Amino acid sequence: MLHLPIGLILLLAILETLSFWPRFKKVNANAGLILTITVPAAALTALLGWMLSQSGGYEKELLDLHFRTGMVTAIACFLGGIFFAFGLRKLYRVALAVSVLALTVASHLGGSLTHGSTYLTQYAPQPFRNWLGGSAPAAPAAEGSLTDWKAAPAFQVAAKPMLDKYCIGCHGPEKKKASLRLDTFDALHKGGESGPAFVAGNAAQSLLIKRLHLPSAQDEHMPPDGKPQPTADDIALLEWWINSGADSGKTVAALQPAANIEKLLGARFAKAKPAAPQAAPQPIEAVLPIAEKLSSELNIAIRPLSEHEAWLQCNAGIAGAAFGDEQLARLAPLQSNLRWLDLAGTKVTDAGLAQVAGMVNLERLHLERTGVTDAGLADLQSLAQLEYLNLYGTSVGDDGLEHLKSLPGLRKVFLWQTSVTPAAAKAFVEARTDKDQIRAWEQEIEALAARIRNQKMQVDLGIPVTNAPAASAPVGAAMNTTCPVSGKPIDAEKTVSYEGKVIAFCCDDCKAKFQADPKPWLAKLGLAAPKR
Amino acid sequence: MTPVQQFLRQQTRRTFFKRSGLAAGRIALASLMFPGLFRSSAQARSTTPYPALPGLPHFAPKARRLIYLFMNGAPSQIDLWDYKPGLADRFDSDMPESIRNGQRLTTMTSGQKRFPIAPSIYKFAPHGNCGTMVSELLPHTAEIVDDLAVVRTVHTEAINHDPASTYILTGNQVPGKPSIGAWLSYGLGSDAENLPAFVVMTPRWSAKRDAQALYQRLWGSGFLPSRYQGVALRATGDPVLYINNPDGVDAQVRRTMLDGLSALNQQTFEQSGDPEIQTRIAQYEMAFRMQTSIPELTNIANESKAVLDLYGPEVTQSGTFAASALLARRLVERGTRVVQILHREWDHHGDLPRDLPLQCRDIDHACKGLILDLKQRGLLDDTLVVWGGEFGRTVYCQGELRRDNYGRDHHPRCYTMWMAGAGIKPGTVYGETDDFSYNIVRDPVHIRDLNATILQLMGIDHRRLSYNFQGLDQRLTGTEEANPVKGILA
Repeated sequence: MLHLPIGLILLLAILETLSFWPRFKKVNANAGLILTITVPAAALTALLGWMLSQSGGYEKELLDLHFRTGMVTAIACFLGGIFFAFGLRKLYRVALAVSVLALTVASHLGGSLTHGSTYLTQYAPQPFRNWLGGSAPAAPAAEGSLTDWKAAPAFQVAAKPMLDKYCIGCHGPEKKKASLRLDTFDALHKGGESGPAFVAGNAAQSLLIKRLHLPSAQDEHMPPDGKPQPTADDIALLEWWINSGADSGKTVAALQPAANIEKLLGARFAKAKPAAPQAAPQPIEAVLPIAEKLSSELNIAIRPLSEHEAWLQCNAGIAGAAFGDEQLARLAPLQSNLRWLDLAGTKVTDAGLAQVAGMVNLERLHLERTGVTDAGLADLQSLAQLEYLNLYGTSVGDDGLEHLKSLPGLRKVFLWQTSVTPAAAKAFVEARTDKDQIRAWEQEIEALAARIRNQKMQVDLGIPVTNAPAASAPVGAAMNTTCPVSGKPIDAEKTVSYEGKVIAFCCDDCKAKFQADPKPWLAKLGLAAPKR
Repeated sequence: MTPVQQFLRQQTRRTFFKRSGLAAGRIALASLMFPGLFRSSAQARSTTPYPALPGLPHFAPKARRLIYLFMNGAPSQIDLWDYKPGLADRFDSDMPESIRNGQRLTTMTSGQKRFPIAPSIYKFAPHGNCGTMVSELLPHTAEIVDDLAVVRTVHTEAINHDPASTYILTGNQVPGKPSIGAWLSYGLGSDAENLPAFVVMTPRWSAKRDAQALYQRLWGSGFLPSRYQGVALRATGDPVLYINNPDGVDAQVRRTMLDGLSALNQQTFEQSGDPEIQTRIAQYEMAFRMQTSIPELTNIANESKAVLDLYGPEVTQSGTFAASALLARRLVERGTRVVQILHREWDHHGDLPRDLPLQCRDIDHACKGLILDLKQRGLLDDTLVVWGGEFGRTVYCQGELRRDNYGRDHHPRCYTMWMAGAGIKPGTVYGETDDFSYNIVRDPVHIRDLNATILQLMGIDHRRLSYNFQGLDQRLTGTEEANPVKGILA
């Protein structure tokens, strides 16, 4: 809304200025039409701005200035419209000039109010910022930088990061809507127009938490609909901090967090710490020019390893004997970016490995057919990320392997044409194999397999009943009540299965007679003789 | 009028402004959208003859280089890899029509009255820890099956050699597209400064028969700048012709002459702007470097006997497949990006039992040697090896069927290839064909999928490596869907 009159006023000013030149004389012919939109729009903007300022939360001094300059703009604009309507062209120009001047100041102040006083320079390149005298934006404390989160105050660890991220934009030092600031513990304690932000020990009754949990459609829901919303984990941590007394100084450890909270915090802080020490690579833009220069000067190939990472791959093997320790030393500026390094067949010696020791992010290292020896391999202990090491055709022996035992990431070592003995190689593999870990994993797999088995549902319908029960074991009730042979009442135990029917007899003799030749008795049972 | 004069005549004031105006706009827009653009163009200026495209590799590659063993003519999968024990009982019985199911046949058998089944006369046995079934014709390759991923379900649409070879090696049956080696060296560049990025060898073969012709387009650069085409080393005599200085010309004279020529060419380039002139300058330069690098490459005096023995007895005879395989290893060691060996005469329409064993003997030992040699040097971890032809062969006999003699026609619906090395899951068999090795039952792999897999292992998203030509963003895998084969990736 407010940008429409700004644009229109500037447009009027431009048209008016242009019309001084004879060539553009007629360019402001439509100024009247534009003015009829501009004047009401400017008035409306001023009105809306005043209403917004009543909601509070803005820095007083800035707001006053903005209000005044804004009013000047609107009034000058209004007067300009009147002058124009009465054909007072000169006065109109004066009013327009005043309006533009006031507008410039008001707009800048408005920007400062909504986006913070540094909004112009905050994202400008550093050199500009220095020149403008602005300060560098304080880098937000990286979550991973906290080495020991258990010993840090719970407020700093569980509450502050979330408040900093989602709240202090409107409830901070520059903009304090509803007189509420959430940037320090004291400010939280003091609260805003509606009272303190929290009730120590009772998250459910704390205003801060209540507002977070309101349905987002409600006006009172915070952060307002459309702004970035904290995650359920963020809120859980905040609630935990309030429920455990909302103390400003107590450490996480002192509050003895429940397992789930500890896990949440652990995931945020501990995990960010890499398993192995790793120096972050420099930005690729910074190292690529160096890489190109070295590539052409040393006749080697240094290229990016992939599109979106800062890693480099270096093939110095193509330079062969022209590449040695001296040349290797020149790669130092790239050391944190080198991921793959191929020194195969070069003149590199142990002295050069001291240089390689600094390339802590190396993943693949080709040292085959070089002058390295056992002693030099001691320098490789810093290569925590190293997975692949090629040493074939070197004078490395059993002693050299000892130095490699401590490399956590190492998976493949190539030792063809070295003096490493099969026994030492075998011992090396065994030393490097964490049998306990493997056993633990195997148990885990077994436990999971058991869980899968336990998940299997068994529904037993028994053996399906067929129409032809086995002859030896007749099932079900007999079809007759009198014995077909003797005519006497039946004994339910003495039965025979015949053509799918159960037939009962009075005694074993009659049963035997029937079994010997059923034909004579079938008619009595109402059964047809079998067709042969 | 030469094309150059034609070009110059077209350079009117109007066309110049139209072009440069558009170009300036495009550059401005591109630099806004891709802030890294100018950085990369600076990168492209580096001295290497084969710089990588900016932004490539798309992701960290598994393989740095490719060795492609192409068996031109189409080896019989039924006699080598795709074990079908059930066929023995069906000797000379007709192949069911339901199996053929409308498959287009070549004119060599379409007139045949019946399609009698010809079971393989070769014994198969499980090998290695993985137990993959391999024919007795490949006893050496059988020893390394634990390093291979055998794909039994490669398929294509082409049924004749020319389109089929062009299809698998350039991604399209119609000639004119860049070969896979050209695409790879165009995208990834090459580390080697003294050797071509893409080297091709065409060793001789033993079965004394006419063989299908090879065409330069199988390693050509298509619409890509011609410096990316494969450089074919000759099988006999000098690997590269006329590379040595003529009598009375020493290296210094040659250098001076080339510098002068290069200056003249540069002048012409500045006048006409034809990028092929730059290619020509680069080629002369490369040829000069190859005067020393090629003799060094082909001199195998320093190879130990143990290493030579790996490749088999023929390794010291130049022009054999074994000698080419050894050179392939020496090339990738020296930074060449892609090496392709095209071995001919695998087209056994008749007398298969006479010719196939000879062909297998040519390559079998050296395939093992190449894999083992790469492995012991730790190079198999960043080298991809691919073996296979352009299609398969039919289960039914072409011509007269006898107990000990038969022939097989072309078959596009399934055939076997293997891959080994970087990023490949070793000891795998992928895919399954029906009892006749005619149709795919499970896990089909179109040759597009195969090419997408190769690109992926080399760090390239096959959908994103493209070159605008004839109004289309041309890709090796074409416009149809292609997916890397996850089942064979480690």
